[in-house]
Amino acid sequence: MSLLTKPPVTRKRFSGISTPFFPWLAARLWHFIGAVSVRTKILGIVLGLVLLLGIVTTLEVRAMSQRALTQRLAEQSVSVARDVAARATDLILINDLYALHQLLEETRRNNPDVRYVFVIDPDGAVLAHTFGSGFPAELLAANAAPVDAHHHTVALVTDESTVWDTAVPIFNGQAGLARVGLSAASVQATVRTLTGQMLLTTVMVSAVGIAAAVLLTWIVTRPILELKTAAEAVGQGDLQQQVRPWADDEIGDLAIAFNTMTTDLARAEQERAEREHLRAQLLEKVIAAQEEERRRIARELHDETGQALTSLMVRLQMMNQQCPLPELKPQMEDLRDGLAETLDNIHKLSMELRPSVLDDLGLQAALQRYVQDYNRRYPVQVDLLVVGLEEERLPPPVETAVYRIVQESLTNIARHAHAANGSVLVERRHGRVRVIVEDDGIGFDPQQVARNGRLGVYGMKERAELLGGTLTIETEPGQGTSVFVEVPL
Amino acid sequence: MKWIACFCLIILSLLIGCTAEPETAVIQLSALQPVPEASVTAVKPLRVAVAAIISPQGTADSYAPLLNYLGAALDRPVQLVQRRTYAEVNELVQNGEVDLAFICTSAYVAGERDFGMQLLAAPQVQGQTVYHSVLLVPADSRAQTMADLRGKVFAFTDPISTTGRNYPISLVQQLGQSPETFFGRTFYTYSHDDAIRAVANGVADGAAVDSLVYAFAIQREPELAAQTRIIHQSPAFGMPPVVTGTDARPQLVAELQNVLLHMHEDADGRAALQQAGFEQFVLVDDADYDTVRSLELSVNNQP
Ligand SMILES: Nc1ncnc2c1ncn2[C@@H]1O[C@H](COP(=O)(O)OP(=O)(O)O)[C@@H](O)[C@H]1O
Ligand SMILES: [Mg+2]
Repeated sequence: MSLLTKPPVTRKRFSGISTPFFPWLAARLWHFIGAVSVRTKILGIVLGLVLLLGIVTTLEVRAMSQRALTQRLAEQSVSVARDVAARATDLILINDLYALHQLLEETRRNNPDVRYVFVIDPDGAVLAHTFGSGFPAELLAANAAPVDAHHHTVALVTDESTVWDTAVPIFNGQAGLARVGLSAASVQATVRTLTGQMLLTTVMVSAVGIAAAVLLTWIVTRPILELKTAAEAVGQGDLQQQVRPWADDEIGDLAIAFNTMTTDLARAEQERAEREHLRAQLLEKVIAAQEEERRRIARELHDETGQALTSLMVRLQMMNQQCPLPELKPQMEDLRDGLAETLDNIHKLSMELRPSVLDDLGLQAALQRYVQDYNRRYPVQVDLLVVGLEEERLPPPVETAVYRIVQESLTNIARHAHAANGSVLVERRHGRVRVIVEDDGIGFDPQQVARNGRLGVYGMKERAELLGGTLTIETEPGQGTSVFVEVPL
Repeated sequence: MKWIACFCLIILSLLIGCTAEPETAVIQLSALQPVPEASVTAVKPLRVAVAAIISPQGTADSYAPLLNYLGAALDRPVQLVQRRTYAEVNELVQNGEVDLAFICTSAYVAGERDFGMQLLAAPQVQGQTVYHSVLLVPADSRAQTMADLRGKVFAFTDPISTTGRNYPISLVQQLGQSPETFFGRTFYTYSHDDAIRAVANGVADGAAVDSLVYAFAIQREPELAAQTRIIHQSPAFGMPPVVTGTDARPQLVAELQNVLLHMHEDADGRAALQQAGFEQFVLVDDADYDTVRSLELSVNNQP
C-alpha cells in the first residue's frame, strides 16, 4: 500500500522543482531573509558588500599584477640575455672561459630572479653555466633561437617554478647561444603576498563593517524596539505611553505619529469614561427613583388603598350581619368576595412593585416569599437556596439589585423557557455575593437577543455592573439557561 | 536575480582564468647530470690563430672570408682561434695548437727568438710590405708632439706590440722619461681598434696604433677620422707576418704557402683579401723585422 502511494509523492516533488527556477529561488531567499532580524539583515548587507567588493577586487588585482609582473619578467629575461650575449662575445672569441664563467656568475648574482645562465657553442656544447657541478640535460633542448633572431623566449615549466627562458644568438650564432632563465618564483611570491595583503585588508574592513553595522543596527532598531514596547503597553491599556523621537527621520516621524495617536486615544478614552460615569450616575438615579417610586406606590397601595378596602370589608361584614333584608344577602356576599379579590390583587401588585418584606425582613425572606408565590402561580418548580445571609443583611442597594435580578430571571423562565424546573442560589462568601439562576428550558442565542434590543437582560447586567459586579449568561438553544452574578460587597 | 547569475559567471571566469596554465613537460632543474660534451667532428679542422691586432669581433668579421677561402682550397673545415694577448697566441704557435697564425711583428720577433718561429708570408697593402705606428690624439686635442702628452692618459694596445707599445715608449724614452712617470695613467686595450675608439671617445688622451689598422678603421667608420688626429708617424716596420705552427707538417706548410701566395689570382681570393684589408700575400725575409728587433731591444733594455 505504502509502495503504491509513494510514486505520486515523488512526482509531485519533481514537478515542484520544474517550476521556473528564479522565482522559486527568490521565494526561498525571501523566506530566509524575511525570517531574520533587521540586525542580521543590515549585517548581512554590509558584510556581503564588503566581502563581494574585497574578493572581486582581490581576484582582479591578483590577475592584473600577475599579468604585468610576468610580462616584466619576460622582458627582463630578454634584456639580461641580450646583455649576457653582448658581453660574452669577446670572451668566447678569445676563448676566455674563466672570464665567461665569471660573467655568468656575476649576472646571476646581480639579478635575484635569474635562475640560470649558460652559453653553448655553435656545436651545441655547453661552454659555461651557473649550475655548479652538473647540468640539467633536458634544459639544453628546451629553447633555441635562429642565428638571425633577436631573441626567443619561452615559458618553461620546471620542477621549481615557471622559468622564462630566453635564447639569444651570440655574434650572429658564430660564437654560440646565450640562454638565460628567470624564475617566476618571486613574481608568484609577490602575487601571493599581494593577495594575502588584500584578503587581510578585506577581513579587517569586514571587521570594521561588522562594528559599523552593529552600531547602525543599534541606532536604527533602538527607536523601533522602543516603539514596539510602547505599542505593547498601549495594547494593554496604558495610554500614558510616550516615546522619544530619536532623530528627525522616518522613524522619528513614526514616533511622533505614535505619540499623537496615544494622546488622542487617551483623550477619547477619558471622554468615554466620563460619559460612562455620567451614564452610570444617571442610571443609578433612575433606578433609585424607580425603586423609590415603586416603594411609595406599594406602600400607598398597602397602607392607604389596602386599609381603605379593609375597612370597607369590615363595614360590609358588619352590614351583612345586621342586614334585615335577607334578599340582599347574596348580593352583599358577592360584593364582599369582589372586594376580597381586589384586596388580594392590590396586595399582589404592591408585592410585585416592591415587597415591603425586602425592606423590613431582608433579601432572604423576600426571595422566599417570592419563590413561594411564583411556584404557586406558574407551572415551573423552582428551588431556592440562600447561604450566608442569616446573620447580617446585605447593603440595601445590593439587596434590591439581587432581588430584581432574581425576579427578572424567574419571570423570563416563566415567559420564555418552557422549563419544568429551575433553581436559585444566593450565596455570600469571601466578601462577595454570588447568584446563580438556572433552568432546564429551551435556552436561547444571547447574541441575537442582544441585537433585539430587549431590556430585561440588559437591565440585569446594568444593575450588576453599577455595583461593580458582573453578570454572565450561559445558554445555548435547547440546553437550558444559567445566569451567573457576582457582586463585591 | 539576473545580476546574481552574472556575478556568478564573472567569479567563475576569474577562477578559470587563474587556474589555466599551459601544459608542457616539466623540466627537472635540480636533476644535474655531467655537462654534455660537444660532438667530436670527424675531420680535424685547420686551426688558424689571429692575434688581437683588432678586437675579437672585428677579427672574426674581417678574416671570415679569408678563412673560408683557405678551408675551400684545402677542403678542410677551418677554425678561428683568438686570444686576448700576443703572448697567448705565441704560446699556441709554440705548442703546435694552431697550424697557421696571423701575428704582430713584435710577437714574431719574440717567437723567432724564443722558439724559432717560421715565417710563411706577409700581406702586401698598397704595394708595400711595411707599416708604421701612428700617434693619435682626439681631434680637439691641442697636443702636437709626444711631449704634449705629459701627465695625460695613454692607451697601449698590447704589452708586446711594436706599434701600440714599443714605439710610443721609445718616443717617451727619447724625451728622457719613462712611461710610468711621463703619463698620468696608462692602460691596455688589447686591440688597435679599441685603442682608436678610446682616443675618439676621449677615454684616452693619446694612443699609438698600427697604421694599417687605422686606415682600415677610418675606411669602415669614417666618423673615427673626424674624431681623431695623427700627430706623428714612425719609420717603416716590416709587415705583421703569417707564421706556421712549430709542429706543422712540411707538406701542409707548402700547401698553405701556395694557397696564400696565389689567392689574389682569382676573384674569390681577391674578395677575401679585400675584406681583410690586404692586396695579396708575398714572401718576406726575417731581416725585414730587424728594425722591430732593435726597437724592442732599446725599449726593453732601458732601466
Ligand atoms: N430563561 C430563558 N429561557 C429562554 N429564553 C430566554 C430566557 N431568558 C430570556 N430569554 C430570551 O431572551 C429574550 C430577552 O429577554 P428580556 O431581555 O428579559 O426581554 P423580555 O423578557 O421582555 O422578552 C427573551 O425574549 C427570550 O427570548
Ligand atoms: Mg424579560
